Amino acid sequence: MEVSIRNHPLWATATEQDIDCAMEGLEKYIMTKLFSRTFCTSLEEAKVNHEISEKIKLLQTFLKPQHLDIQPVLHNESSWLLAEKELQKMNAFKAPQEKLSSIMNCCRVINNLLLNDAMSEHVPAGADDFLPLLIYVTIKANPPMLHSNLKFIKLYRRQTKLISEAEYYFTNLVSAKTFIIDLNAKSLSMDEIKFEECMQEAKLANKLTNESHSTCQMKHQEKNDCMLSIKMHNKVLDFDVLQDGSNYPYMEAKSKDLEMEDVDILLHHYKDLVSKHTRLCKAINCLPVLEKESLLRQIEMHGNSTNTNDQTTSQ
Amino acid sequence: MGCGSSFPDRESGQLGRPNSENGGGQDAKNLRVKLVLLGDSGVGKSCIVLRFVRGQFDPTSKVTVGASFLSQTIALQDSTTVKFEIWDTAGQERYAALAPLYYRGASVAVIVYDITSPESFSKAQYWVKELQKHGSPDIVMALVGNKADLHEKREVAVQDGMDYSEKNGMFFIETSAKTADNINELFEEIAKRLPRPPVT
Repeated sequence: MEVSIRNHPLWATATEQDIDCAMEGLEKYIMTKLFSRTFCTSLEEAKVNHEISEKIKLLQTFLKPQHLDIQPVLHNESSWLLAEKELQKMNAFKAPQEKLSSIMNCCRVINNLLLNDAMSEHVPAGADDFLPLLIYVTIKANPPMLHSNLKFIKLYRRQTKLISEAEYYFTNLVSAKTFIIDLNAKSLSMDEIKFEECMQEAKLANKLTNESHSTCQMKHQEKNDCMLSIKMHNKVLDFDVLQDGSNYPYMEAKSKDLEMEDVDILLHHYKDLVSKHTRLCKAINCLPVLEKESLLRQIEMHGNSTNTNDQTTSQ
Repeated sequence: MGCGSSFPDRESGQLGRPNSENGGGQDAKNLRVKLVLLGDSGVGKSCIVLRFVRGQFDPTSKVTVGASFLSQTIALQDSTTVKFEIWDTAGQERYAALAPLYYRGASVAVIVYDITSPESFSKAQYWVKELQKHGSPDIVMALVGNKADLHEKREVAVQDGMDYSEKNGMFFIETSAKTADNINELFEEIAKRLPRPPVT
């Protein structure tokens, strides 16, 4: 491609910089257009991404800087946070050059931290200090689709650009990823039994949150939770009413037929319904995911069939 | 933060030179060489490089992104230049398995030990063996005994380093990053030993 640009008469007067800009623009344009067909295209790849991210989630629950022997002078939450943010940005970009520059920015933040430390301590910091920090930041950041992003850069960043410094820092993130994948009790400055315990605990906690997440979703996503509960409310309500419609004489009533004394009865029914509904929702939330799903399906089917019955009777 | 601005400029400048594109940088006059540093943590790998690149022990001037990747060009007497791109590696034991990611494609490996630490000397021998097995076959290897200024604490004899490197066909030198002794000599000697592409 570069050769054809160079040989084309339109570009005859272009400087090296012009051609470089054209190539950068072209890479960005093409890769943005082809993104959905080139980024994380296989199930296996998605699985690797998921596995890394899940493992990081477990590690996040107990991993401390000292487990990677990060010197106390390098403990700097605000710098770490900045580096994490840069790393997390990587997945938001589509062009390989932008993804790569997210990595570079993250490494730059870490290096500034090291440099400041070196200036105060007069001990030059090299890879012995850099890599542990990058690994720690990567674990804290849990950058989405880490494996796919690295693969994408490797495959689609212009080869003449993935050299020298860029290649070095890219390699460091690849190596952080590899370290995390292979991480076991022996990889950390931590008692091996303690490590296994922490991992087990994290797995258990993770499993619990996953389950509660899919069943009640109450704490985390209020909006979704609302939707689900409204949906369930409607279903449960239909079910209840239609099974035992006699309890609710106002089902067919119109507002103009109502009188003042009805308000009391209606309020009573309303309270009754709400408390029943709450109890039912609670009961359903306690069910395991599979049972809950089949129950909801049943309710839905029942609802559909009664609806059709309704229609036939009303006709 | 100067997000990458200094860095593409530098690269495009390099691309501008004839015959130096396509990664290898193997034109006969101007070599670009990937050099990987291996050795236990605390033996002074980064001090050696900082001495070489900045000519000083104290790293206060900002040149590149950080101190774990540095580059320095030296001119040789035959009017050729060699640009060393120096890749530092983490020396702690737990990262040893990651080393192949770094030495892949390197034309030079500098293996450093601390003359006051026999453990670091055996670690250096481990790296030599590993590179002989898995490194590229024409890699130029140098064995460096650092902290030569600490005579009174010496625990690895000069002769031991010399014997070992002779047996393994490597270049050997003792350096002191602190006093700058033999630092430039180390890199000049490496430059001389590099295989040259045929001059056309």
